[in-house]
Amino acid sequence: MEKKLEVKNLQISFRTQQGILKAVRDISFDLYKGETLALVGESGSGKSVTNRAIMGILAGNGIIEGGEILYDGQDLVQISEEDFHKLRGDKIAMIFQDPMSSLNPIMKVGKQLTEAMLLKNAASRRNARKLFNDKLTLLNKNMDEVNPAEATQNKEDCKTFDAFSVHATKLEGVFNKAHNEAEELKLDIDNFVFLVEKKQNVRAKSSLRDFVKRLPETYHPRVVIENDKVKTLIEKLSAEASAVRKNKVTESTLDILRQISKVLDESIDKDKPNFFCLGYYVMKNPNADVDNMELCELNKMVRQCLDDEFMIEFIKKGKAAILNSHNISMQKKRDNMSPLQEALDYFKTGEMDEKKANEVANKVIPLVNEAIDRLEIVKNSTEYTFGSSLKGNIKKYFDGLKQNESEAKRFAKEDAKYQRIIAKGKTPDWRVIPAVYFDEKLGVRNICNVIENLMNSYQRDFDTDNLFNSEEKMIALVDYLKEQASTLVFKVTKKIAKARALKLLEEVGIPEPVIRYNQYPFEFSGGMRQRIVIAIALAANPDILICDEPTTALDVTIQAQILELINKLKAQRNLSVIFITHNLGVVANMADRIAVMYAGKIVEKGTAEDVFYNPKHPYTWALLSSMPDLDTKDKLEAIPGTPPNMIYPPKGDAFAARNKYALEIDFEQQPPMFKVSETHQAATWLLHPSAPKIDPPKIVTDRIERMKKKEEARRGK
Amino acid sequence: MENREVLLSVQNLEQFFKMGRKDLKAVNDISFDIYKGEVFGLVGESGCGKTTTGRSIIRLYDITGGSVYFKGQRIAAGIRRYKAAIKEERKALKEDLKKLAGDNAAIEARKAQAKELIEKMNAEIASARYDHKNCNKIYAQKQMEKVTAHYDDLISKATSAEEKRKLEKEKNDELKLAKKERLTNKIQMIFQDPIASLDPRMTVKETIAEGLKIRGIKDKEYIKQEVLKVLDKVGLVSEHATRYPHEFSGGQRQRIGIARAIVLHPELIIADEPISALDVSIQAQVINLLNDLRKELGLTILFIAHDLSVVKYFSDRIGVMYYGNLVELASSDQLFAHPMHPYTRSLLSAIPLPDPHSEKNRKRIVYNPLIDHDYSAQEPTFREVSPGHFVLCNDEEEAKYKKEFNL
Repeated sequence: MEKKLEVKNLQISFRTQQGILKAVRDISFDLYKGETLALVGESGSGKSVTNRAIMGILAGNGIIEGGEILYDGQDLVQISEEDFHKLRGDKIAMIFQDPMSSLNPIMKVGKQLTEAMLLKNAASRRNARKLFNDKLTLLNKNMDEVNPAEATQNKEDCKTFDAFSVHATKLEGVFNKAHNEAEELKLDIDNFVFLVEKKQNVRAKSSLRDFVKRLPETYHPRVVIENDKVKTLIEKLSAEASAVRKNKVTESTLDILRQISKVLDESIDKDKPNFFCLGYYVMKNPNADVDNMELCELNKMVRQCLDDEFMIEFIKKGKAAILNSHNISMQKKRDNMSPLQEALDYFKTGEMDEKKANEVANKVIPLVNEAIDRLEIVKNSTEYTFGSSLKGNIKKYFDGLKQNESEAKRFAKEDAKYQRIIAKGKTPDWRVIPAVYFDEKLGVRNICNVIENLMNSYQRDFDTDNLFNSEEKMIALVDYLKEQASTLVFKVTKKIAKARALKLLEEVGIPEPVIRYNQYPFEFSGGMRQRIVIAIALAANPDILICDEPTTALDVTIQAQILELINKLKAQRNLSVIFITHNLGVVANMADRIAVMYAGKIVEKGTAEDVFYNPKHPYTWALLSSMPDLDTKDKLEAIPGTPPNMIYPPKGDAFAARNKYALEIDFEQQPPMFKVSETHQAATWLLHPSAPKIDPPKIVTDRIERMKKKEEARRGK
Repeated sequence: MENREVLLSVQNLEQFFKMGRKDLKAVNDISFDIYKGEVFGLVGESGCGKTTTGRSIIRLYDITGGSVYFKGQRIAAGIRRYKAAIKEERKALKEDLKKLAGDNAAIEARKAQAKELIEKMNAEIASARYDHKNCNKIYAQKQMEKVTAHYDDLISKATSAEEKRKLEKEKNDELKLAKKERLTNKIQMIFQDPIASLDPRMTVKETIAEGLKIRGIKDKEYIKQEVLKVLDKVGLVSEHATRYPHEFSGGQRQRIGIARAIVLHPELIIADEPISALDVSIQAQVINLLNDLRKELGLTILFIAHDLSVVKYFSDRIGVMYYGNLVELASSDQLFAHPMHPYTRSLLSAIPLPDPHSEKNRKRIVYNPLIDHDYSAQEPTFREVSPGHFVLCNDEEEAKYKKEFNL
């Protein structure tokens, strides 16, 4: 499965009056495409903080001390706020716990919905052309390298590719315009009919005339086919329009409008022609009459034509080019291994001066950047972010060292003052802020981690080199180019945005979207508000959806509806979802995989079945046993005490103090992640081979037993 | 079932709020009894009127109609229904008089009839107002009588003059306290959000002692002892007494709220979503605490919540509310085993359980009152379909439910 997001060794702290609060301590997880990962834990366990870091909205006193968040070839920890604007909301969207506080109270819901669509559309169109050109030029370059003799021919081919894609986009542009026009007209007609039905004031005459005038604009051979039916409808409508008196709209007029709306609706949902191939066909046969052909036949024909005359040849060349590019990159990577090892050895010593360290880094970074296979569509984030991470970490290390000196000075000064006052016999009304030092060892380890991660990634590439399929990659590349070309003409106007927003509102289950569109958030109930928030999050078609306790403020029935909605949308759009909650029932419903967090660490992770049917960590047991289900009769086993103060994180396992199964070693040493199965890991000393065998509490085992029986009964049926 | 003592009886309770010209019927004619020592759960989605019911019982609102009886004494009564009846009768009288014009004897008879009815209604109104105003006084009177009877008996038996004097003094003290005894103090409430319901500028001791002070106890040592006693009961220690609410964690704050409620030795506690705002691990602590207190102090609890698995675990009987109506009422096992009303079924089908397999196969039942009921022939009433199991239904539905469960 394709990895969408990787979080590696993330560490986040907060600067507070009392000292540094370690909110997230070294957590790592991956998020795959189309899955739901649930983060479970008490409040203060760092679930929300992690996700705020992913969204780049950490509070002002938050510091990311180390680690990486990799998404699409970028390290979200390192990138600038400017770059984050391009991701936030567009690629990674978030649903917050309280819908009221995440909606703008003085903006109508409709405006909030369309805002993102309009803004993001302009930006992505600008970007698309650039991406298209870059990739095509690169492909051309590689083709030349493979076969320098045919350089002119290659150039010609790429030019052709470019030319017919231009043709295609032109055709698609015309189509989109008519399509949009139809969509807008349908929206207006529906709105008009709605108003008349609700007995509201309308400007009947001018509106009807407007419709008559605009209908022909929707005529595109592929959108609304100008058949007799529409023609007669228009004639009728124009006759009605002239007959309108005193804004009274008759039932027959409404009927005609409804019919037109129906026709438009059908045409909007029609399949699109294969513009990519059509562009080539039109370029070759400028006089061809493509408008009146059956869509299915046309698509087949143009496809055939493209394949026969151009594409198969092009793909063959492209394949060679891609293989070439890949091989060169592989060779470079192999060559890079030894300089990387040298750099690693240098940094590992821990004794470095700033100049030398930067020199070493500057030597490796260009090598690594050169070794990146730029023709790959799915970016390998580790390679792309290597330079920035390495430099960032080195800078942080030396800045930290400098800071340590000044911090020590400050502390000494303040402490001396404090002691002086104490010596005078007074009690000062202020406290000395404890000195916080940058952890040198951690800095070194972070630097080494960056290099080691890259080397591991290289090693994986070497291992899987024989699986490389250049044909697949070429087809992916062509698809990518196609997509970019059509993004270029994908223009969203205000009206279209409104039509889309109404559709979206319907999709998330809001009745009468036309009325709701013009309302303010306070006019909605809690569940409806949360639906609006979901609709806004989905407006820009994100890859990743982060849900931060979206149902905690809602009651059972609404909660079930919202969860169903999120599941439905996830399946439809192939979203990756990170779901944060402390309700285990909800987790069981949503999650494919679960990570249980406690005191800033992941203590257990696995698939939903692993965690619910075979929990290993005492904290997971405690969570499961503190929650009653419908068959619970015994006394609940509450977790005693409260989570530890993370300003002074405990030495051993953070849960040891509240854990009745704690071993002695739990108070001494932090447990590593033990593997239970391929998918299941838990950080508890109980899994150590020499640990005593301890069974989960009875309430948990009983429940698992019950669940298994139920499952069997269901299967039996 | 029959011989259990009814502690709280809610009869035809109505609570309307004015919304412009229209009324918002937050609670629309509900009746139920709570027996001594049980936990009565009230569930429903948000906005269905469960919190309003709780607040009406403790007289945070003046109720619109119906009566609330606590320990046999009416503590709240609405008069709107009687007023409406008078209005209607007057209107009817006017029309009837027009029709009967000429027939003097008939007119007189009709007038007398109307007068009688109006007088009856006025008497009801007066009694409701009297009860509403004086329920505490009546209760105090009763308590005083009890004390007097108790001590008179002792005094008459006393032999020496000194003993008599001592008893007299004791009696006077007790009488003073009994005079200040308020029936409504016997009902206390625990609120949902411990942060919002505790005064940030009062220490824990002040917060808890406030009720005692209002009750008229001036003995500081006694107050201190009482406060420490309840703190111990709810699992806090005496050092906590001088701290402020912000110094506590969420679970501890809720414990303070509980301590404040039990310091006056209430008999009924209305717990309005006491665990909804708390973290998972703390929820269990608070439920366990309430369970212990209930056994120890013999409390009766009206438990309002929307988390059904907790309600099932905690309550003896459960009432399900839907838009101001009580649609079903049964013992918790009965309700979960044989849910009758379609709304209850839909509610039960929405409970998320910590079991991935069953969760992924769970089918939610959708409730739509327009589709699920046909009340064109007969309006539904709240009736006992099987012993102890009440459902809001009409004849046709009752027959259907009975057939379904072979009753």
